[in-house]
Amino acid sequence: MNKILTALLLCAVLPLLFAPPVFAQGDTQWVLMQSTLTYHMSHPIHQVYGVSHAAKGKGVCHAGECDFLIAVPVKSFNSGDSNRDLHMLEVTRGAQFPMVIVRTRFPEAATASPTIYADLDVQFAGVTAHYQHVPFQRVTKGNEVQITGTIPATCSDFKIPPPSFLTVAIKNKIPVKVDMTWRQK
Amino acid sequence: MKLKAARIAFGVGVLLLLFVIANPLRAQMAAATLSGTITDSSGRVVADATISVKNVGTGQSIGTQTNLAGVYDVPNLVPGGYTVSVSAGGFDPKVAKVTLTGAKGQTVDLVLNASPAQQKIPANKSPATPPANLPNAPSSTTTPLSLQSLGFAPSQTQANTQLQARLDKRTHMLKVHQTLGLITAIPMMAALITGPQAKAEGENGKTITEPTAANLDFHIALGGLTTGLYWTTAYYAIFAPKIPGVKPKGAIRLHRDLEWVHGPGMILTPILGILAYKQENAGEKVHGIASAHGTVAYVTAIAYGASIIAVSWPIHLKFWERR
Repeated sequence: MNKILTALLLCAVLPLLFAPPVFAQGDTQWVLMQSTLTYHMSHPIHQVYGVSHAAKGKGVCHAGECDFLIAVPVKSFNSGDSNRDLHMLEVTRGAQFPMVIVRTRFPEAATASPTIYADLDVQFAGVTAHYQHVPFQRVTKGNEVQITGTIPATCSDFKIPPPSFLTVAIKNKIPVKVDMTWRQK
Repeated sequence: MKLKAARIAFGVGVLLLLFVIANPLRAQMAAATLSGTITDSSGRVVADATISVKNVGTGQSIGTQTNLAGVYDVPNLVPGGYTVSVSAGGFDPKVAKVTLTGAKGQTVDLVLNASPAQQKIPANKSPATPPANLPNAPSSTTTPLSLQSLGFAPSQTQANTQLQARLDKRTHMLKVHQTLGLITAIPMMAALITGPQAKAEGENGKTITEPTAANLDFHIALGGLTTGLYWTTAYYAIFAPKIPGVKPKGAIRLHRDLEWVHGPGMILTPILGILAYKQENAGEKVHGIASAHGTVAYVTAIAYGASIIAVSWPIHLKFWERR
């Protein structure tokens, strides 16, 4: 009798021991594998493209909602001219606020859509700007997902005084092109 | 008459120089920086806190936010009384008073107390809540995501106010360098133009070479002004703070390489000019090494112009680069 009870107890308890934790049920995680972020700065005699491949990001989907965090060091942007990059670092207060941080949350169902509309919190130069309904194109490549889009950033969004050259200021718009490859863990 | 014109040109140049240099320096000297760290009652830093610094005397306010290390920094404040207001989601707002004296920086660290309704929000998360009107607005209340979880080293994410101060000073000095450099080009061009007409009068009071504008004094004044402006311009580039670990790259390299041509040129040109002046005043034709004055001046001016073009050239028109 005791043996039967013990066997029943083991049958009941063992599956619980090997079951995944309750909080992890349904969770999916995404990791940013590679990225190219390019800002475009426009001046009457200069068109500047600053590129960074140093972004890191993670995403967690839980209970039907996905939270993503992407960050990139300000000083990792390379425009091909060290003097200009240092000036950009200064004017964006990149030593004081060394990271550009993007947070977003959207429904998990949206991750399967060819176009993801995301509301972004972008923290840059000590200011957090909100961008609503920014479209990103999603293409699945094997077990990876490529996300492309453009964040319509402006200098004034982040209270950055537009840098000037030869006494002429750059245009206020500094759109940032995003090309990221994510992999589900 | 011509000597008077030369003096006026020289005087205007000196005044212009003083104005360009003195104005930003005065502004810089008066500026102070207010900085500090915002933490909660348990000592954890509060990121994204909104800081408002209000000048009690003028009523002007400057806003900023704390970074991920909870640090804020408000530069370029004139001395006087200020109120520092801090607010962050989940915390009671806090106000502190501070008096800034001179150009010294001052630190005001503040501790926020969690408001009862929001005490469940972890302090290491952004306390900012998304706008209510956004259906899928970002939220930080349930996400275990942080910069550390992304793999960034603390040294990458922490504020470096000393580096920011170096960058600020560097930019300021290079802006003066740029402005003075462009101004210098004007008397330099004028000196080049007046050079061929600059002939001294002979001992008998007549010009040596006929016909001539006999404009030597004016040329000397322009040359002197150019030399003074040039070396002042150079000072602002040479003594601009260097940023460790940054190697010159791009157009700035050519700009700097050309210094090795126009720099020595700006030493040689006045020396050769003085030699030529002495020979002319002695009633001699300019001869020997002094006769190279004009050639050296032209080479110097061409190198100087090229160094300006090197950093001004529309980079999107670089035909040798594929985008």
